[in-house]
Amino acid sequence: MTTWKLLASYWSFEPWMILICTVLILGYLVLDNLRISRAFLIFSTGVLLLLLSTSSPLNILGRNYLFSASMILHIILLLVIPLILLIGISPGIINKLSNFLPSLKVFNILGKPVVAWILGVGTMWIWHAPNLHNYLLRNDYLQFTQILLFITVGLIFWLPVFSPMESRRLSPLPSTLYLSSACLSCTVLGILITFANAGLYREYLNPVDTLGILNFLRNDLCITPSVDQQIGGLTMWVPGCLIYLVASMITIARWYREPEENSGYRLHDAGYRMNDTNTI
Amino acid sequence: MANNKMLVSFFIASESIFFLMLILAYVNFHGDVIDGPTAENSLNPVKTGIFSIFLFASSFTIWLAGKSIKKKDHAMLCVWLLATIILGAIFIFGQGMEWASLIGREITISRNVFATTFFTLTGFHGFHVCVGLIMLSILLGLTIAGDFKGPRSDGIECVSIYWHFVDGVWVVVFSVIYLWAFL
Amino acid sequence: MSRIPLVPENVEPLPSIGESEGLLSWVGSIDHKQIGIMYIIATLVYFLIGGLEAILMRIQLAHPNSSFISPEIFNQLFTMHGTTMIFFVVMPFLIGVGVYLVPLMIGARDMAFPRLNALSFWLFLFGGLLLYYSFFTQSGAPDVGWFAYAPLSEKPFSLNNGPTYWAIGLLASGIGSIASGLNNIVTILTLRTPGMTMRRLPLFVWMILVTSFLLIFVIPIITAAFFMLLLDRLFEANFFNPASGGSAILYQHFFWGFGHPEVYILVLPAFGIISEVIPVFSRKPIFGYEFVAASTVAIGLLSLGVWAHHMFAVGLGNVTNAYFSLASMLIAIPTGVKVLNWVATMWNGKLRFYNPMLFAVAFIIEFVIGGLTGVAVASVPIDWQATDSYFVVAHLHYALFGGSLFAIFAGVYYWFPKITGRMLSECLGRWHFWLTVIGFNFTFLIQHILGLVGMPRRVYTYPDMPYWGTMNLISTIGALILGISVLIFVWNVIVSLRNGDPAGDNPWNAWTLEWATTSPPPVFNFDRVPPVRGRRPLWDLAHPDMPDEK
Repeated sequence: MTTWKLLASYWSFEPWMILICTVLILGYLVLDNLRISRAFLIFSTGVLLLLLSTSSPLNILGRNYLFSASMILHIILLLVIPLILLIGISPGIINKLSNFLPSLKVFNILGKPVVAWILGVGTMWIWHAPNLHNYLLRNDYLQFTQILLFITVGLIFWLPVFSPMESRRLSPLPSTLYLSSACLSCTVLGILITFANAGLYREYLNPVDTLGILNFLRNDLCITPSVDQQIGGLTMWVPGCLIYLVASMITIARWYREPEENSGYRLHDAGYRMNDTNTI
Repeated sequence: MANNKMLVSFFIASESIFFLMLILAYVNFHGDVIDGPTAENSLNPVKTGIFSIFLFASSFTIWLAGKSIKKKDHAMLCVWLLATIILGAIFIFGQGMEWASLIGREITISRNVFATTFFTLTGFHGFHVCVGLIMLSILLGLTIAGDFKGPRSDGIECVSIYWHFVDGVWVVVFSVIYLWAFL
Repeated sequence: MSRIPLVPENVEPLPSIGESEGLLSWVGSIDHKQIGIMYIIATLVYFLIGGLEAILMRIQLAHPNSSFISPEIFNQLFTMHGTTMIFFVVMPFLIGVGVYLVPLMIGARDMAFPRLNALSFWLFLFGGLLLYYSFFTQSGAPDVGWFAYAPLSEKPFSLNNGPTYWAIGLLASGIGSIASGLNNIVTILTLRTPGMTMRRLPLFVWMILVTSFLLIFVIPIITAAFFMLLLDRLFEANFFNPASGGSAILYQHFFWGFGHPEVYILVLPAFGIISEVIPVFSRKPIFGYEFVAASTVAIGLLSLGVWAHHMFAVGLGNVTNAYFSLASMLIAIPTGVKVLNWVATMWNGKLRFYNPMLFAVAFIIEFVIGGLTGVAVASVPIDWQATDSYFVVAHLHYALFGGSLFAIFAGVYYWFPKITGRMLSECLGRWHFWLTVIGFNFTFLIQHILGLVGMPRRVYTYPDMPYWGTMNLISTIGALILGISVLIFVWNVIVSLRNGDPAGDNPWNAWTLEWATTSPPPVFNFDRVPPVRGRRPLWDLAHPDMPDEK
């Protein structure tokens, strides 16, 4: 057993996941009148990433062996994929979808900054409560629900910053505050997990060795439960925050690219107002 | 006019970090104490919970005070401000009783890491409540003297924001110290 | 030097610094210009004291086995030198010059909360005075290093009262800094003159904004740590005392959780000064304004999450060390972006090497050296060799002296005419500049080697190891040269205040709003604020056919 062999084996493409991904891509094409636009390509990348990540060894390793694998997968599902999908959804698609499904209007409320923030951050915190986490690990059939939930909550979380409808977005500086406060919360959770004693999530302490790779993980790669938990916590903390940082940079870049509004001043009659600070 | 509400909002964001640090210290040491006073064997969550309800109620009364000044109802403004102060004072009284009982059992800040972090966290929170009570008293005094005719007042709004913040912090502190130990 | 008559000639003499209105008018002032000047003067005094502490240390270290200064006093010296320079020189100077300039640069009358502004200043001043009072007490000044690590700073290792003065003095000053941060944020967000959108902010103002956010979010961290330290020291609490169940490492986490963003607080406004000076003296707008602005936000955000790179030798584990090492190296990217932007601004520009520009160019070179050694110690194995040695001392001085202080000097030469109405002497300035560059590099370049051959920091003397004496002597000579350069600088200030050339409104032909009023500005700042339709309002006014933004 080598690392390469580990990464190359244990891919499992579930039929329902393939089905969902196909439906998503085809559905997008149909809605967009079979055009291959740049947005469509971005969207498809997101869908492809969804298929690949859930079929990859990350999934199997994360369910049983490695907390860190589970964390990496969750970050991809909650943060990365929804962001890519959202960037790939054009306003035209939204309009067409709303015609089909009026219930999508609920996203107007869910996409409000306070709601979206609480949903996104809250989901992350709740999912890491040890009792709930252990319960979910033991019950495999909840897998599909979890994946669906992560993608949905992720989409909602990113709405205030990356909504396809530009009028619904926060302006750039509040966006940075929105993202950095979420980043702070992710950091605190990551800190708690990294520095807690090993065994926060009991299921990973002595996994059932169905694949026969436990020896390899523990002895060859030296990934003890303690190291595993640290990697998991630190991945939430460092790469997690980098994602928020990159999103923040994209927001600021967009802001500077927009042309400045003409404030309507003419040179000869402008600039007379003194700011009054009558606080004395 | 300078934007007072913006100032207070950023201020409470800053203070949140301060409280976060105290909470992290408490969390860091939680579970470290093997023998000696801990949250489970020394605290009374029911009693503290009841006193907490007074604090939460005071958030409600100050909200009502805000509504009164919008309606230019001067008398009710006085009433709700006074109610807020009384409810807040009752909470502080309850905190004082709890502290007295702990100190009476020789559980002081130097006893062990639980006692240290407990007294620090609740102490700073109580201090912030007291500062709030002082500000509310100033508001009440000025109101009785005829000020705050309404419909808007930065003073009332800003102190309200601060008071809600102090309340919110208590929700978290209560959960971390009492609920976490006993649930 | 073209002068655009934007402000009508004054008929009556305006109140200026030259006029003596009495000391009381300064003590009770809530005018941002007076408060800014008080900040600057106070930091100059603290700078001289901190510099004296440094020179005393360097004299002691000039020869091996020296006994010029006792170990107890030496410990107090390095503790006070570090604390003074960081908390009572660089930070308050940058805050103070911000207090002076931000309202002017955004076309406002004053800060949003003038009284709060005054409170910040007095808290800073008295915090420092309380700290320095400790020298006169029986047990002396704090002697536990400027980090005051627990449990060294607690009983039974530290039985004097010095650390208590340290913690309380810094607490007071820190609360003042939070107030400044809040004040800056509200001022910049709400008091900009119409036309000055957030995207047209002078970069100095933008940097102050980001720094202010950092201030209000990280000073509470150290405030919590100081309170915990005081509770431990005064009331026998158990936060950081391992013997009673506490955690010394917790102190380090808290301290560096503040400490690392603090170094960016110390450097971002300095970047802002450089971003103002270089374009003016290259006669070109800054290259890549958006990149400088965005990279500032990136640095601010990244700085919050890399503190454990100060704790590589603590034993957090290889995984933690690796992640922090990687994240720390990432900060080099946005910083590098800035350096490229500054250099690109100078490229093909009409460079005018007046004193501000000399210091700005030197800043880039020295700060890059500091940044490179920073990336080196971000690598865990290198850090394990270099930590707590003179290599780190060299690194931090290249970043904070070669970086922040050089930028501060650039800012002083640049804005002295505006603040006082008189030009600093170019000739004396050049002497100051060259002696500073020579002295600084002589002092600190060799310390990289000293550190790598194993000389630890914070030791009052050292054995006669091969070449250690020689290298230390070179470093001390450099420090003495620096001392002379500072004296020349102070002389320049005094002489120029008396007899300097009158500056006029805009001696450098610069473009931001502070140059659109008299030097010094009237009490109410502007008679009329010029219209703002771009990032360089005065350029647009003087060149209506070639405005920055169409």
